[in-house]
Amino acid sequence: MADALFAQKKFLVVDDFADMRSLLRGILYAIEAQHVDLAANGSEALTRMSKKRYDVVLCDYNLGPGKDGQQLLEEARHRELLGIDSIFIMVTAENAREMVMAAVEYFPDSYLTKPFTAELLRTRLRKLFDKKANLSNVNRALTTKNYARAISELDQLMVTSPKYKADYQKLKADICIRAMRYDKALRIYQDVLSVRDLSWAHLGVGKVQFLQKKYAQAESTLKELIEHDRTLTEAYDYLARAQLAQSRYSEAEKTLDDATKISPRGFQRQVMLAEVATANGEPEKAETAYRKAISVGKQSMKMQPAIHAGLAKALAANGRHTEALEVAGRISRNFPSHPQAQLYQATTTVLVKSDEGDEEGAAKALEGVEKAMKNLDPASISANMGLELVKTYAKLGHKDKASEVLHTVVANNHDDDIFIAEVKSACTNLDLGEIDDASINNIQQNVVKTNNKGVQLIQQGQFDQAIELLHQAADGLPGNRTVNLNAAKALILKMQKQGAKHEELQQVRAYVDRVRHNGPEDWRLIEVTNQLQKLVPTD
Amino acid sequence: MDFPDMLASSIHDIKNSLGVVSNNLAILIGDPETKFSDPQRACLLQHEVQRVNNNLIQLLNLYKLGENALMLDICEHQVEDLLEEVVVNNEAICKSLGVTLDYGCDPELSGYFDLELLRGVLESTIGNAQRYATSRIHLDAKYKDDYLVIQVEDDGAGFPPELLKVTGIGHHMIQMLNVSGRTRLGLLFAEKISRLHRTKERTGFIRIENGCTLGGGCFQIWLP
Repeated sequence: MADALFAQKKFLVVDDFADMRSLLRGILYAIEAQHVDLAANGSEALTRMSKKRYDVVLCDYNLGPGKDGQQLLEEARHRELLGIDSIFIMVTAENAREMVMAAVEYFPDSYLTKPFTAELLRTRLRKLFDKKANLSNVNRALTTKNYARAISELDQLMVTSPKYKADYQKLKADICIRAMRYDKALRIYQDVLSVRDLSWAHLGVGKVQFLQKKYAQAESTLKELIEHDRTLTEAYDYLARAQLAQSRYSEAEKTLDDATKISPRGFQRQVMLAEVATANGEPEKAETAYRKAISVGKQSMKMQPAIHAGLAKALAANGRHTEALEVAGRISRNFPSHPQAQLYQATTTVLVKSDEGDEEGAAKALEGVEKAMKNLDPASISANMGLELVKTYAKLGHKDKASEVLHTVVANNHDDDIFIAEVKSACTNLDLGEIDDASINNIQQNVVKTNNKGVQLIQQGQFDQAIELLHQAADGLPGNRTVNLNAAKALILKMQKQGAKHEELQQVRAYVDRVRHNGPEDWRLIEVTNQLQKLVPTD
Repeated sequence: MDFPDMLASSIHDIKNSLGVVSNNLAILIGDPETKFSDPQRACLLQHEVQRVNNNLIQLLNLYKLGENALMLDICEHQVEDLLEEVVVNNEAICKSLGVTLDYGCDPELSGYFDLELLRGVLESTIGNAQRYATSRIHLDAKYKDDYLVIQVEDDGAGFPPELLKVTGIGHHMIQMLNVSGRTRLGLLFAEKISRLHRTKERTGFIRIENGCTLGGGCFQIWLP
């Protein structure tokens, strides 16, 4: 059966076994493919993908040492080496169950279990090309984070091709969550559940409740789900997060223990377990979990200096200071292009030396901290890094600096409940004088109050007052994305009503730049920049 | 490490070796330079390798099921997509065995099931039917009494009578493993998988009988 469809497509086969590569190429030739390239490992595949746009990537999950198939997919999608209409097929030895159920950011378009025939691949590819063509507009909208457009395209698809309505509904709920339209996502899950009791929809409900900060509700939804579906590891992950957000550390640890028993390969899960074990004062368990995370995630883009820093601190807590200093000393070399790597290396060294009782060495290492800080925009310091700094200063008795950083980092991340709980837990072990749970709540509440007052003034149409208030707040907290975005929104709303002015447009751009600098991934930027583009200056 | 764990890790090893056998065989068969004195035998070998592979996957899944570690992913799927895929995946082997393999299914039909587990059930059922069919294997799916019923039937001699007595009742299935003749593992697996599919009121099951429309063995999996 001649198939002109495949003759024009470009294929890439990724497999670490030469025999397997030629077998797969043979299968592709059998379905009349003509352009087939081969790669033996993840980095070779990435190099090829950066030089040529492939229509189909056929990739084995196990690629020997180096990246595995999932890590390759993540990096390829992240670096936009795959076009929106490209198809990525993961080839697996057994069923792909654990991978399918894992909490990953990017899913392959399809899984194939070895061995499979040329005929099966042909049938599967035809369907996948059709599906991609159908979803082309949706995916295009998603690449520009235009969620509203993606949702309306999906709504249309459900009418024009109702056969795959179930798939579209699932995707739509997912997009609603990314767009933070939680009520809408919840309605979709409830619609699905009204027809049929399905685990993924219950999980969706739990996720939404967690994201809406209804932690107790999320907990009961997820616990009930786990009761019926013991192997659904993603449910454990969200349950643990809900428990952490309520400062219930030992319960969260138990939840993560259960989940890692079912699936020990989850990178993010091992990191969470390591952090929780650290907070619960179990350095040996933390060390094991950090080591697992580092071995599983070695080749992953998601590996962070904070994880190596965590291992070093666990080693120190276990009395192995020499090893700890070695791990700490390799952080900048391991993360040559990470902006905060040097700072992590320095703070970790301070903490390890201080723990060892080497006060002089710690004080000297602190100079490294100050030096690394000079190269960094203070507003760009991440929540985790900020907390590291607080601990470092506190450990060496610099209470003023510690509480200054603490104020900034809490105020900049006032709406991240898991982080705030982590700060509180850390502060109970640090001698920071008057800083306690109440004062941390106070910092948090002040930001919330200002922000809410601003939003209220906008709603009442009192733009000048709102702008004045939010402008001051945003300047005081350049690292707080919510406040800066609301300051931008207030100005935009005013201009929409009263006409746009050059000076005010400039001010909005400044807010947007701040947010983009601290969180280029923040979806809320899209809405603001779209509105900004529609404003034409009248002066 | 206890015996089941050892067994599970041996299965991984065997599967890997089998993968090497299967891949090399496929390369040889696919290479026009290869001269087999009897190409039919090469195809039969491939067929057996595929069967052993299916059996190993079933064993692994049964092991995971016993450990409460089998992950279940039930979603709504298009039934025709699945039937079409398992049919095309087995077409070449059936052709070399002189057996016609086809399916009948309403293109709009959808059902709730774990796609890969059900694929495993159908692959192994077809693998069984291939041994006993005279000239045809037919797949069919439709709704009966609010259950999705997927049926695999052949025109062979049918199931032995002692098997027909015990189907549909879980614990009797184990006893079937002692009955000689057809491979029982596939049925045991199918039975377990059917039972994982359940709603608040109803649970899936399998049924086997003889002489549906083709006169031979007829396997059905009923999913709520």
